[in-house]
Amino acid sequence: MTNPRLAFLFVTPALLFLAAVLGWPLLEAVVLSFQNVGVIGTTGSWVGFDNYAKVIGSAGFWNSFGRSALWVVANAVVQTFMALGVALLLNQKFPGVRIARTWIILTWIVPTVVVVIIWRWLLSTSGGMINPLLIQLGLIERPVGFFATRESAMATLVMINSWRWFPFTALMMLAGLTRIPGDLYEAARIDGASAMKRFTRITWPLLQPTLLVLGIVGTLLSFNVFDVIWLLTAGGPSQATQTLPVLIYETAFKGYKLSEAATISVLTSILLMAFALLATRAMTASEEAR
Amino acid sequence: MKRTLPQSVALYSGLLLVFLIIGMPFWWVVSGSVKLPREIIARVPTMFPQSFTTQHFEKLFQSTDFPAYLVNSIGVALFSTIVTVALALPAAYAFFRMRFPGRNALYRLILLAYAFPTIVVLIPIYGLFAKVGLIDTRTSLVIVNIAFALPFSIWMMRSFLSTVPKEIEEAAIIDGAPARVILLRIMAPLIAPGIASVAIFTFIASWTEYLFASVLIVSDARRTVPVGFAGIIGQYQIDWGLLLAGATAATIPVVILFAFVGRWFVSGLTEGAVK
Repeated sequence: MTNPRLAFLFVTPALLFLAAVLGWPLLEAVVLSFQNVGVIGTTGSWVGFDNYAKVIGSAGFWNSFGRSALWVVANAVVQTFMALGVALLLNQKFPGVRIARTWIILTWIVPTVVVVIIWRWLLSTSGGMINPLLIQLGLIERPVGFFATRESAMATLVMINSWRWFPFTALMMLAGLTRIPGDLYEAARIDGASAMKRFTRITWPLLQPTLLVLGIVGTLLSFNVFDVIWLLTAGGPSQATQTLPVLIYETAFKGYKLSEAATISVLTSILLMAFALLATRAMTASEEAR
Repeated sequence: MKRTLPQSVALYSGLLLVFLIIGMPFWWVVSGSVKLPREIIARVPTMFPQSFTTQHFEKLFQSTDFPAYLVNSIGVALFSTIVTVALALPAAYAFFRMRFPGRNALYRLILLAYAFPTIVVLIPIYGLFAKVGLIDTRTSLVIVNIAFALPFSIWMMRSFLSTVPKEIEEAAIIDGAPARVILLRIMAPLIAPGIASVAIFTFIASWTEYLFASVLIVSDARRTVPVGFAGIIGQYQIDWGLLLAGATAATIPVVILFAFVGRWFVSGLTEGAVK
């Protein structure tokens, strides 16, 4: 099969599509970032690096950057713990394991807006479920506003987003776990290694490649999360949950500064690509070292 | 291998905990959707409905645009799915089996699409679609959904193609079958689980897409469930019964779909990840 013309016939439709809907707009975003367009649909003039100087010099951009970093790290930590636990459970044999492996992902297949309704309702201060339960248990006296303070709003969002994503992460880890040869555990058991030792000496090290890939993909995925944050807190209270995607959206569609939003987008893309590149390189290096 | 009693206790209590963490929130919402309003906001929440009413669903389907949102969502998701599969299958096959200049570079370029925050292209896409008159059309959502699903779909199908034994394909080549026939008659049936996985992934991604649907669609009658429903949240004095009914109704279609093909999807997801 060495007919390049036929091969191009096979790939061209998909490539053209991606070029038109992703590639071209990306270039447009770069062009936009060097202009001064305000409201969508209007035209602007060239301003060189003015937008870049403005964005890089603004505290708002770096604050949002910091929140995005916190958001990504917190999600990674919470999800890794939850997902690893679940993956280890689902790697066992028990009646109904297939059903469990399929339906675990329920939180991920429903629309975000459903996730939003679920948690707004459960955490509501009037009625709801969690507050009355906590009051009944005597843990609190009055309903707690989970989105009311800066810290609790961020923490609550991380928990909700993790609730949505940990089953997906768990299935990815499960894929890595099933790849570890069973003989290793058998041999370790014969040698009298404890369950704890088997985990620290076999499971954990052999799961590293999977965890690294998940770390990279997961970072990009959670960085991009917009709708959960937007629909639950809209970046508030007082910008405490305004991550970079939220900032871009607000700058473009609430602040009517399209070019500035494009500039933040381009800077964000550069940061993410640099991360992806460095992380992939680190991963390849550690694979070669082994 | 046999589990000791403590190990069994640990396993099953762990499973129960996971079941509760995932299941309870859904149960509270679904059971809440049939409760009378006064039971919904009762100070002491009830685990099982003490009352039963369909009034929230009636209101949802009779006095809101929810039915239209539902139809729009299903249409957009279906078309996005069909076109994505049709584009991804030949592309994945070419990247997997055929030799052509720039193959690896192009493949990497496609995967790079995931390094960009989707919001980056939102603004230019709006401008682009405004120029060609696609704003406020459901077609615009189909186009966007396909573009976002394609890279993952090509990657996933390619890893499924690599599970097909080479001999099967070689036999067909020796028989002189053209590439199109090999792909559609021999490879496609063999990687049916992969095609199913890609289809489900695209369907779900389209079904849940919010950001672009909220910007590209202007008129209420053309909204999809995520955006239309989010609008209902703000429209009324918070009517929890209505919102819980909406959440239930928006969940049911994907649950039905998943009941039929979920197994394929999960095996596709995990097998694809291994390659």
